[in-house]
Amino acid sequence: MDIDEFFKRPTPLFILILLIVILIAKLLRLETTDYLITIMFFIGIAMALNIIMGFAGYVSFGHTVFLGISGYVFALLVYYNRDFANLMNMYSGIPIFFIALLAGGVSALVAFLVGIPVLKLKGAFFAIATIGLDFAALYIIKAFIPILNPEFFGAQIILPAYALAYKDNVFVAMYITFALIIIANYLIRRSRFGMGLLAISEDEDAAEALGVPTTKYKLISFALSAFFTGMLGAVFGLNSGGVDENLFNLAHTIDMIVMIVIGGIGTVMGPLVGSIIYFILYDTLLVTYPEFNLVILGFIVAVIVLFAPRGVVGILRGKQFMGKKLRDIIE
Amino acid sequence: MDEKEIIKIHNVTKRFGGLVALDKVTFNIYKGEILGIIGPNGAGKTTLFNCITGVYRPDDGKIFFNGLDITGKPPHRITQLGIVKTHQIVKPFNEFTVLENAMIGALFGRRAGKISKDEAREIALKNLELVGLIEKKDELASGLTLHEKKFLELARALSAEPEVILLDEALAGLNPKEVEESLDIVRMINKELGKTIVMVEHVMHAVMNVANRIVVLHFGKLLAEGSPKEVAEMPEVITAYLGDKDLALKFVKR
Repeated sequence: MDIDEFFKRPTPLFILILLIVILIAKLLRLETTDYLITIMFFIGIAMALNIIMGFAGYVSFGHTVFLGISGYVFALLVYYNRDFANLMNMYSGIPIFFIALLAGGVSALVAFLVGIPVLKLKGAFFAIATIGLDFAALYIIKAFIPILNPEFFGAQIILPAYALAYKDNVFVAMYITFALIIIANYLIRRSRFGMGLLAISEDEDAAEALGVPTTKYKLISFALSAFFTGMLGAVFGLNSGGVDENLFNLAHTIDMIVMIVIGGIGTVMGPLVGSIIYFILYDTLLVTYPEFNLVILGFIVAVIVLFAPRGVVGILRGKQFMGKKLRDIIE
Repeated sequence: MDEKEIIKIHNVTKRFGGLVALDKVTFNIYKGEILGIIGPNGAGKTTLFNCITGVYRPDDGKIFFNGLDITGKPPHRITQLGIVKTHQIVKPFNEFTVLENAMIGALFGRRAGKISKDEAREIALKNLELVGLIEKKDELASGLTLHEKKFLELARALSAEPEVILLDEALAGLNPKEVEESLDIVRMINKELGKTIVMVEHVMHAVMNVANRIVVLHFGKLLAEGSPKEVAEMPEVITAYLGDKDLALKFVKR
């Protein structure tokens, strides 16, 4: 891709600016490291779910299961393996990213295996099956963790001091993960694979009839989505100092879905913008109206969905700007 | 038309529960021909198409394409080998532009994986030009009329660069003028692009006119096979489907 093309399209430029802004905010200490890690986590999970929900049109309602699986895998890895634990505070935290890759890989594998039967289901049936997966994984972990080590409090793993990383190192790992996810989203959207996924979300039978290997594509996108979600769960678990069953809470999925929907489904810019709006609203309301924040947030989301069912970016895509159709430039 | 068979349907049987939708159907489709498949509703025409394109797996029998056994292969593989179907109920990708719709055909068709986006765009444009949708290339497919959506199905199928195109009731729901336009395009695709065309059709005068050969299905069985004129005169075809001999011949003459 040449430079001209790069700047003609706003999405890569927006991604670049976002990455730079977060870096500057960190270096100049404009926001706390925790805040930055959390906002990257929020945008990240929306973008990760976007690969299966936004592109292929499969609403994975139990997607939080992958936060849980990889969060636990990561926590157990650093709890039981001192080598991994020691590595986390070396090389500016880059090894955390690699351990998270491993933890994400486990989620990808689970998604792949479960996806073979479950991706044959459509619409609500698929959504319900993924909720089932979430509960199944939760109960397995609740039963398994106390057997593994009676010192764990129920299913909760609190990471001991040797298995914790410095905030700055966690930031580095989260930053690389985050960049990887949004760049992957953009590359997928522009690729033949991405066009195939969008065709599947429009009409799966027609896509298959035109030569799109729908089964394979759905599996790959589900596994990729789970992989990225899992990586975020792993790094976020480390940031929280441990994991508990709350990682499997379906409320996380609802956050992800809402962020994608208010932004605009089927695009990269949509969930990116949607998650930023959602997170800022969420955070501001939590601070200003701690008692009513969810009520107000719910109301705002309902208004957006009612008046802009295709999301904020979805509306923009239908408009023209300086004689150019915005649809052509916003992916 | 040379006499080389491109698709061989051998003893194909398909059952749905107790219903035998296709009962030991055997016939050949020859390279370069326009073959019409007719028969009453429920005769198994669409089931046959679905067996050829891999949507259904036949319970018995084999289907060969250029000598290769394609029975039970998944639909996308069969498309990539060179057989494409247009749908009876149009299935455009509504949120895609007309051009993007056709590009999907090129990107995932016969040359799937070996074609750049620019090449795919060229092929798509060429085929939109051919069916007369070039001016609408940047519009969303959802905005097209039924007639245009049917042409888009055709452009999309052509962009996959198939050897054989299966048209499933491509003319249903069109007015007489649109039917004529469609037939001209079908003839052109057959003559100039050399594509083999198989059409399931109820618009009798159209199919009798445009087809070189007709196959008649009835209750899942092959009832008759021959030139349009031969078929229109066969007593069993008249009783089963056409109803009246004079009327049947009128279709052919028009």
